[in-house]
Amino acid sequence: MADTHKHYHQPGLQHQFENMEQQQESATIGMWMFLVQEIMFFGGLFTVYLVFRSRYPMAFAAGSNHLDAFLGGLNTLVLIVSSFTMALTVYYAQKSNRTMQVVMILLTMFFGSVFLGVKVIEYGDKYNHGLIPVSGWNKKTPIQPEIAKSSDSLIETKVSAKETIHADEGTHSEKSQVGHDSHHEKPYYNPTGEFQWNYGGEDLVMMAKEAGYLTEAEKIGYFDPITKEFDPNRFRDKVRIFYWIYFAMTGLHALHMVVGLMIMSWLLLKAIQGTFSAEYYSPVEISGLYWHFVDIVWIFLFPLLYLLGRHFLHGGGH
Amino acid sequence: MAKQNGKKHEYHEEHLHIGIPGYFLVFLALVVGTIITYVVALKDLDWIFPGANTLVALSIAFAKMSLVVLYFMHVRWQSNLIWLTALGGFFWLAIMFAFTMQDYLTRSVIGR
Repeated sequence: MADTHKHYHQPGLQHQFENMEQQQESATIGMWMFLVQEIMFFGGLFTVYLVFRSRYPMAFAAGSNHLDAFLGGLNTLVLIVSSFTMALTVYYAQKSNRTMQVVMILLTMFFGSVFLGVKVIEYGDKYNHGLIPVSGWNKKTPIQPEIAKSSDSLIETKVSAKETIHADEGTHSEKSQVGHDSHHEKPYYNPTGEFQWNYGGEDLVMMAKEAGYLTEAEKIGYFDPITKEFDPNRFRDKVRIFYWIYFAMTGLHALHMVVGLMIMSWLLLKAIQGTFSAEYYSPVEISGLYWHFVDIVWIFLFPLLYLLGRHFLHGGGH
Repeated sequence: MAKQNGKKHEYHEEHLHIGIPGYFLVFLALVVGTIITYVVALKDLDWIFPGANTLVALSIAFAKMSLVVLYFMHVRWQSNLIWLTALGGFFWLAIMFAFTMQDYLTRSVIGR
């Protein structure tokens, strides 16, 4: 190790490293190893998405079309701005500019918080529309009066008649139990708090059927096996899968944002203390890597969750 | 792109990467990409082939991801080891997608 002596000792250099470059690279590669795990972590959910969307594309399109694509797009832009300010945080740390570091960290945190705020609004909307895909969580949700009359989508109707037919569908077991306590007298409430779907989709399915787009799974999954007619109950169960995936993926992403904000708070404290300089800015760089990764996840979530069926609504280019 | 093991000694001259104008250009490209994604999603591209919309959306997302990884995450200026780590992550992801789907897409629908 004799040749280490020719390096002058930099204040930020830990003794186990040869030089600043090696120290910096070690920190970066450690973070990238973590990010690779994160890629696989989110990748599992993307795989679930891939499997179910390839089976029920029309239910996914119907579910997606009810999401607020404007808010989703707005959040995409908000995250991109926060990534930009994060990149500038690293830039100013490299220039040892403490004031601008603090400003940029604060801006990044601000945009991160805006993202989470918009997310809360969206989740609130989903709750108010009875779209939480967990039994019992939609009890207080009024069903839209104008569609309540076509209450095929309500669980209390027709369920007992269909019990035997649905033996092959696992998701129906909980409904078979509730089908017996009749709540017909309270049509505006969902007595078991089940996921509801009052936002159409039959037209979409019929269009796909005529165009020959329906997948094999859809040909069975959306239609009553006896009457061969469109079955809103069966369709709703497929939309429910979409909403499960929506909440799981955006929820996990939002959790990463919360963790990101905690990291940024710590970074802010350190930056105010003047810890980071051109000699030592690894923590800023590494926190930046995490923040950008979370941004990348959203870059994919936005088109996959919010935009996948929009062209059916606005298109007409046939 | 910019494999630069031989340039390590220039690190302190290089480490400011692309500077504020460069970051701003990347940022603008990302914003434009987002707007294009949104606008294209409203157009019906099924006349090309069913699912063309998704392909376009994912292509733009992939381009945006590449910009973020290369410039915001500085991978463009990193050593081969970090390139390998980053690409390795996506390679394993591709394996997971490919092997899962080669199973699901070739199953009979009866078992569901």
